[in-house]
Amino acid sequence: MGENLPRVPGGARLRCDTLGRPVQTLRVKMVLLGGSGVGKSTLAQRFVKDEFRMTTPTVGCAYLTRVVHLSNVSLRFEIWDTAGQEKYHSVTPLYYRGAHAALLVYDISKRETFIRAQVWLKELEKHYIEGSTVVWLVGNKGDLEEDRQVSVQEGQGLANDRGLFFIETSALSGDQVSNLLIDVAHRVYECTGAQQGGLSEWQEAPLGDLHHRDTSSLMTSCCKVGP
Amino acid sequence: MSQRTERRGIHVDQSDLLCKKGCGYYGNAAWQGLCSKCWREEYQRVRQKQIQDDWALAEKLQREEEAAYASSHGAQTQSHTQSTAPQTHPGHTSLGPFSKFEEKKTNEKTRKVTTVKKFFSPSSRTAPKKETQEVRTTSPSLSRHASFETDQVSKDFVDFLKNLQKPGREIHKQCRAFIVNMSGKKDLGADELSECVQDFYQSMADRLMSHYKGSSESVEQVMDQVEKYIMTRLYKSVFCPETTDDEKKDLATQKRIRALHWVTIQMLCVSMDEEIPEVSENVVKAITDIIEMDSKRVPRDKLGCITRCSKHIFSAIRITKNEPASADDFLPALIYIVLKANPPRLQSNIQYITRFCNPSRLMTGEDGYYFTNLCCAAAFIEKLDAQSLNLSPEEFERYMSGQASPRINSSDADWPGAGQTPDVVATNPVLAQLNHNLELLSSLNSRQETVMEAAQSLQADLLSWPQAVKREVQEILEKYPLQILPRTVSAIDANNMDNENLPPPLTPQVFAG
Repeated sequence: MGENLPRVPGGARLRCDTLGRPVQTLRVKMVLLGGSGVGKSTLAQRFVKDEFRMTTPTVGCAYLTRVVHLSNVSLRFEIWDTAGQEKYHSVTPLYYRGAHAALLVYDISKRETFIRAQVWLKELEKHYIEGSTVVWLVGNKGDLEEDRQVSVQEGQGLANDRGLFFIETSALSGDQVSNLLIDVAHRVYECTGAQQGGLSEWQEAPLGDLHHRDTSSLMTSCCKVGP
Repeated sequence: MSQRTERRGIHVDQSDLLCKKGCGYYGNAAWQGLCSKCWREEYQRVRQKQIQDDWALAEKLQREEEAAYASSHGAQTQSHTQSTAPQTHPGHTSLGPFSKFEEKKTNEKTRKVTTVKKFFSPSSRTAPKKETQEVRTTSPSLSRHASFETDQVSKDFVDFLKNLQKPGREIHKQCRAFIVNMSGKKDLGADELSECVQDFYQSMADRLMSHYKGSSESVEQVMDQVEKYIMTRLYKSVFCPETTDDEKKDLATQKRIRALHWVTIQMLCVSMDEEIPEVSENVVKAITDIIEMDSKRVPRDKLGCITRCSKHIFSAIRITKNEPASADDFLPALIYIVLKANPPRLQSNIQYITRFCNPSRLMTGEDGYYFTNLCCAAAFIEKLDAQSLNLSPEEFERYMSGQASPRINSSDADWPGAGQTPDVVATNPVLAQLNHNLELLSSLNSRQETVMEAAQSLQADLLSWPQAVKREVQEILEKYPLQILPRTVSAIDANNMDNENLPPPLTPQVFAG
């Protein structure tokens, strides 16, 4: 929705509801983490596929976008797929810098991917800032019930221990996938969207906060340019 | 009559083909009917005039501002100074709000005005004052007669701002002032420079935002132009500055990539099949794009190069695998491309983009994603070890030290000669092509040889045939020699016995008529 709609301050875009009131569109960066072959890219494709209008046809599915409409706001998810191979583990922190949501994906039919997910989690926690990133533990390939090696209780238990959200999905059948996205959207908006500017942009270090506050107040007073 | 006019429409007169200036040479429609020589002169003239106009405009703006300033110098400035003085950081580059800029000018009015004016006026070269000289010596990139590129960018910027009218002037003024200010801060560390620029972006964006009342489309447009203008101007002084060890890192990376020349596409598990012509075409394009990045000045243009490179990689993977590429495929492929390309000043470019790009573009959005991947690739190459290529440490050591080459050794450790061909074919498409051609040539050669043999045997056959025929004839002649039998001549009726019994032959009778 609305690739070329006008935007509101902070990089957000405008959408109008039925009464013509503008609805903000905020940008959300969501990272998919997890070992190779757990179905991250399929999950990402599934997120996007459900949308009415396909986004511009892409040659790759490593970076995808999807707009989710909540009651009073729209969130434009920018979905970043990451390389899951173990040898790239050391460089992945670069991906989740500044992410608003992280999905930690494992394959319920392969125990080692669950163990890998815990390694990822440890890494993530090193960079994790309380309240800035919503982390979700996702047990994927729910359709392979007969090959299950990781029980629901185990997954839920890990999530509870570490304060994560938990869900089991099937990217193949699409089961629970859109629910997951909606849940993430709500949670992200609650956690970060409420603080103004928390979603629209991100900076590695706050640059001269005090200074900015000064300038913004002054700016309005001297703003005599333009019509 | 009508036919004639029609014909005239098509007909091109000799004089139409000639240069419009009448110099006697032929003109060209692409040069507005001028010949190449006249066109060059004309173009130069127009361009000079345009530049002069721009200077004049800038100067006029400056004069206007001074006049306005002088008239309102009294109470207003005083109150301004008082209200804003506490926030002044004379050393701070961020010129955020315009009011601050003006207030600052109150403090250093004389200096600034002369400096800025010197900048604007074309005569600045002839009358350098002490202050100006100071600025000039600290920033050669600013004082030096602007290169073509910067010229062009300044011109574009002025053109763009003209459409914005009044706010355009303000923006122009601020940018100029910022550049002047930055030129005095060359000694600062890269991080501080980055902070100054980022602060400037931030305050400019805030201002524009309040001016356009939330239409961030237009704000972004203006910001892109501002970034383009400022960074083109500052590029020389802030790209790979001496205060950092960027250059050292560049060299280290370059050396490292060179040392890793032996890494094959298989070791990285890249799913690109370069034997498919379309794929190898995309690979070449990706390599070109990533190399081109260094030639761009504006951070956003550099990002554009990375994005284009990534798109080519995605196409290559898609063609090979027949399905959209995931990040699992993409990152190894990008690493491979970086290793192949060995892009110049990779670290400096990454640092430059990180420091001076508009942050909203960098951390989110597609460009941001690809840039992050490039950072990952660079980090991976730095840390790359035996394990990441699925090699044993000994093998890795041997390859790194150049004692062995995987292309020869993998198939036959001791005898490079044996089994070399299939391996080479597998690793290098050019060699494969070469080999293929060689095979073709050798098969052609053997075919030609058979043809020659056949021809020779045919010749031999041809030679031997008449002899054989001759011999055969001889043999037959010998076998059946020519016999001439004695000839017996006899009358037809010699054997008739009863001749006597025959009646006498009829005698002709003559009838008298």
